[in-house]
Amino acid sequence: MKRNLRFYFALLFARATALAVKLVGRKGTSMPGSWAIILCPDFLARMPKPKHVVFITGTNGKTSTANMVEDVLTDAGVDFICNRLGTNVATGLASTLLAESRFWGKPKHEYAVFEVDERSAPHTFRYVPPELLLVTNIFRDSQKRNAHADFILGLLDEWIPKGTKLVLNGDDPLSSRLAPENERVYFGIESLQGDRTKVENIVNDLAACPVCGGALVHDVVRYHHIGRVHCDACGYRSPDRDFLATAVDTTRMTLTVREADGEHVYPLANKDTINIYNSVSTVALLRTFGLSPEQIAESLAHHGIAETRYHEEKAGEKTVIRYLAKGQNPVACSRVFENVRDAAGKKAVILFLDDYFDAKHTVENISWYYDTDFEFLNDESIVQVVTAGARHADVYVRALLAGIPAEKLRHMRDEAEAPAAVTEEADTVYVLYDIYTIPLAEATVRRLHGRFDGEKGGADGAH
Amino acid sequence: MRIEILYPEVCNLFGDPFNMVFLEKTLPEAEFLRTPLNETPQFLSEPVDLVYMGPMTERTQERVLERLTPHREAVKNAVERGVHFLCTGNAMEIFGDAIENEDGSKLDGLGVFRMTAKRDMMHRHNSVFVGTFGEIGIMGFKTQFTMAYTPDPKNAEYGLFRKVKGVGLNKKALFEGVRVKNFYGTYLVGPILILNPDFARHLLRELGAGDVPLAFEDACREAAELRRKDFAALVH
Repeated sequence: MKRNLRFYFALLFARATALAVKLVGRKGTSMPGSWAIILCPDFLARMPKPKHVVFITGTNGKTSTANMVEDVLTDAGVDFICNRLGTNVATGLASTLLAESRFWGKPKHEYAVFEVDERSAPHTFRYVPPELLLVTNIFRDSQKRNAHADFILGLLDEWIPKGTKLVLNGDDPLSSRLAPENERVYFGIESLQGDRTKVENIVNDLAACPVCGGALVHDVVRYHHIGRVHCDACGYRSPDRDFLATAVDTTRMTLTVREADGEHVYPLANKDTINIYNSVSTVALLRTFGLSPEQIAESLAHHGIAETRYHEEKAGEKTVIRYLAKGQNPVACSRVFENVRDAAGKKAVILFLDDYFDAKHTVENISWYYDTDFEFLNDESIVQVVTAGARHADVYVRALLAGIPAEKLRHMRDEAEAPAAVTEEADTVYVLYDIYTIPLAEATVRRLHGRFDGEKGGADGAH
Repeated sequence: MRIEILYPEVCNLFGDPFNMVFLEKTLPEAEFLRTPLNETPQFLSEPVDLVYMGPMTERTQERVLERLTPHREAVKNAVERGVHFLCTGNAMEIFGDAIENEDGSKLDGLGVFRMTAKRDMMHRHNSVFVGTFGEIGIMGFKTQFTMAYTPDPKNAEYGLFRKVKGVGLNKKALFEGVRVKNFYGTYLVGPILILNPDFARHLLRELGAGDVPLAFEDACREAAELRRKDFAALVH
């Protein structure tokens, strides 16, 4: 699309905003991009783009995957830009393009890798058509924004450009069927410990064959609808995978991937199922992009999962684990709850599930608790569940309905009281928190130190 | 007591199946029938005390209507003879006159009552609703693509819950939901029975369960009271 006077006005205004933001010392803001799009709604279409654009989207795992992909590309010396410090919607993309271009908009770099929110497809895909698109998976997410999986799949189907090559999860019967006319490769995992043949989660968005509506046979169930399926009625079956993890060694932390040219071994960053998928999808995307197995393996060996998402430390004799359980995302929380259940030892769990903004301004819609598998927390190895925050009483009701005995539950409004309520019986204390309550989780860990190892408890570091 | 859950494998959004989990824990002696999409609903041919249908995707609405439209008259008769229905989220739309898309195309409903739901797929409505059902306070959440319209713009003829704060069937309506005889339809999710113990008690009394205590009733009441207080303090 041609650049017009309106575009140049928006560009100049956005540049001035970026300068002002820089002068006040803020980083990673999407304000310049916001102004650009307010002043010129098709700014993204008119803004020159790097020659090659890669998008990473999906309900769960897109940030971790994008971070790994960007780390490897950096190590491989690829000249690219990304929105790692900004937002993953149109304004974030616009801000990144602005920041990484010459004064009148000419790109400084040949490649762009953008993590893109799946809900923002109508505002991003048509303006910045990606050459390669990785979709990690599609699930129910925030009902307020994303409604349901079918709505998001419909948006992606409508807006994925015809020329985009897709890297899809062959073990996700929903997203693997996206944009059927597009060129594609599939990734997946052959088998994992814990594979079953029945969906045990509350949420299963694949109740019937997606082609004929007939009964589906679940050959492998990993979590929710992720796994392998076939339909006897119409012959539909999960697609063959071009990048197939044939061996996952959680002792040596390696991943063997069968590709067109043979098997290659890659380091594994983390052994929970979602993160194994993140590693396989990273390999599939980067191999499709053109990196060699050696380049990928060498780089992955020294990169892990971001500490803001998972962090383990000792407080006296106890292990304290901060673990992100993304709020209003029932699948992400269910995965974390299952991982906590499956971890060794006697565990206490502190739940901070409030949406930070809703807790300040209204009463949060808590119906997502009822899509979340609190039932995983009803396990002998979990000796206590402590919940605190504005909706503590609602979490308590949900926990009771999950069958967790009342004597194992403690709940209170003041989050600062949660560490003191933790039982001595636990070897490990999990602090589960939302993406906007990282400071609260950190303050809680400090208080746990204060209690268990004699260090001075953190002053109120919560919001 | 016999409770039939219609199409639980697809009418299961927003945690609302827990309305029935809650009733199962409250009424351990009751019989719960789960009717999948490829089977004929049992209430059409057998005595059932309560029929429940939960929220679904827009595509599922079409499939549900395909299944139920051949039984349109039988469904109307069931409502007429006083069978209890509880429909939450957009399940209520199935029983109205039509569901209208942005381009004007329509999906015919079962026509049990005069209501048209209008979709606006690019503008999702989310809000908190506070209202009353007679003397009973009601609170719930709305998360939907549609607004619904009855012949009376204020929805006084079918209104289930009188609005105190929030949005009713549509932005001008004074009432939320639909009540026709013993048909209870509401956009409120939450799940509504867990969030509103007094309303759950009312429904159970109507169903003939008497004053049966609710599962975890004290905890539900404490949570409901806290929500009510927080809303009063935060939202003016």
